[in-house]
Amino acid sequence: MREHEHEDVVVISPSCVYACTRFRVRKTKLLPREEYLRIMRMSMPEVVAHLGRQEDYQDVMDLAGEFSGAQLIEEAVNRSLARSFRSAMAIAPGDLHTLTGEYLARWDIANVMAILRGTVHNVPRRQVRDLLIPAGEIDSALLDHLLNLTACGEVLEALQGWRLYPVLAEYYRICGEKGVFARIENELYRRYYAGLLDLATSGCSGCQELIAYLRFEIDITNMKNLLRLHCAREACDITVVDRTMIPGGHIPLGLFRRLYDIETEEEFVSVFLQTAIVPILTQAVRELRQDPDFSSTDAAELVWRRWHRHLRPVHEVEIAITRVRLHQMESLSRRHPFSVLPVLAYLERKRYEVANLRAIARGKAFGLPSERIWQYIVT
Amino acid sequence: MPVDDIKPTRSGLLIVRRRMALAERVHRLLAMKLDGMMLELIKLADQAARERKELEEKYAAAREMVAVAAMMEGATGVLLAALSVEAAPTYTAGQKNVFGVCLPDLEPVMVKKTLDQRGYGILGTSSVIDDAADAYEDLLEAIIASAELEGSVKRLLDDIERTRRRVNALEFKVIPELTELRRFIEGQRDEMERQEWTRLRRIKKIKAKRG
Repeated sequence: MREHEHEDVVVISPSCVYACTRFRVRKTKLLPREEYLRIMRMSMPEVVAHLGRQEDYQDVMDLAGEFSGAQLIEEAVNRSLARSFRSAMAIAPGDLHTLTGEYLARWDIANVMAILRGTVHNVPRRQVRDLLIPAGEIDSALLDHLLNLTACGEVLEALQGWRLYPVLAEYYRICGEKGVFARIENELYRRYYAGLLDLATSGCSGCQELIAYLRFEIDITNMKNLLRLHCAREACDITVVDRTMIPGGHIPLGLFRRLYDIETEEEFVSVFLQTAIVPILTQAVRELRQDPDFSSTDAAELVWRRWHRHLRPVHEVEIAITRVRLHQMESLSRRHPFSVLPVLAYLERKRYEVANLRAIARGKAFGLPSERIWQYIVT
Repeated sequence: MPVDDIKPTRSGLLIVRRRMALAERVHRLLAMKLDGMMLELIKLADQAARERKELEEKYAAAREMVAVAAMMEGATGVLLAALSVEAAPTYTAGQKNVFGVCLPDLEPVMVKKTLDQRGYGILGTSSVIDDAADAYEDLLEAIIASAELEGSVKRLLDDIERTRRRVNALEFKVIPELTELRRFIEGQRDEMERQEWTRLRRIKKIKAKRG
């Protein structure tokens, strides 16, 4: 995507207009809310048959000989996700392509970590293969090649061309060293967000909004992880907090460090109310509970109650926040129709479509009631 | 010396009395041990029942947590987190002595772990994985506790059965036989004494006649 400014006139390249239009069209083809309600009422074989009739999920029929039930649906939707994302990479031109590639690198991180762990722990290659979702830059051929390697040194050597290879080279010295994978995984995600923010600051159309979106994602992730660390069985020291916080969010890391040590309600609520999380959290809980009187202070007190009792975030609230964020992203993408935002809006929507179908399949397989499953659906 | 070989003599009677005293003392001790073991069994059985109920609740909770984790992260996400485990949970098996019975004493090792010890990265996972891991760690601990208690109940029951057989053998076989034998020996000895007395009287009479 190139924007040429001539005397206050912004010219957007035709390829960018074309690509953004295609992504908007693709987004309209994603499953609507009513479709999930219909699928929820179906039995598992009916869901499989229904998905088999959808253009995006025809893999379900090819995989039916190998898998069954919820596993079959999960494999099929994962394949659809990988195919959609690879196709998105193929469509996106220029800067859009680079940004999309950087955005999808999170799937590469998951794949690489699975292969490294599988290699070190001698997990059967077939089992590891089933866990990989080739939705990032590392294609299936390279993933298959990595799977065939027997030593972690060889895997690292084969990954030298990967954009996040420097992290592996820096942290991975001894094969199978205890705790090293968690450290590498954390660092890979930190670098992933740093790279994405760097790229977004290049000044593309919609990048300011993208940066705001990413920063908020970082804030939410940091807050969730702070709650996770706080409720862990053994209190962790501040270095662990530093190691697991992602820099670059709206909320400075110093504030998270300060929050971690607070033990009184007044102080916690007053500090938490200063964060950018509060408005979205308030809106999310308001929508979840259908309570228009739920205020910012109520939201801060809700977090305090979980914090004080060393409890983790409520999953339903996490999902509600994701819903609000996706709606915000979509309204932003409508405001900036020829920018990186329609691409990301599509990628996020597709990601959650897959997550929704997976949640329905898994929920049905475990015999959870429909009302319970519906709480985990992002529409 | 077998009971049948004991002769109806004074030394035989002494042997029987000694055996009787020993049998009664052993019977009393074993009966007390049996009572103690029964009390311990009732206590352990109650604990085991409570623990089993808790185990079932924890199993249901763990199943639900893993269902939620599979819904939110997918089976792939859950398996990837499971693949990260670096130290397998285990237990150490010891023994404790209760009324002379060796009961199992199981101690969980590396079952409950900190976030760091679990091996997965915090940034690559969500809190639902922590919840599922917590639920399964609790379940595993409950399984170990339940196995220890149920193993203890089983061993205690075996020993109670063995002790009850001994008590019954003493009460209904050994002691009655010894009592019977003592009565027999005492009867025999009384008879022998009467015979001796009669014989002496007769000799005395014969001597008196001759004199």
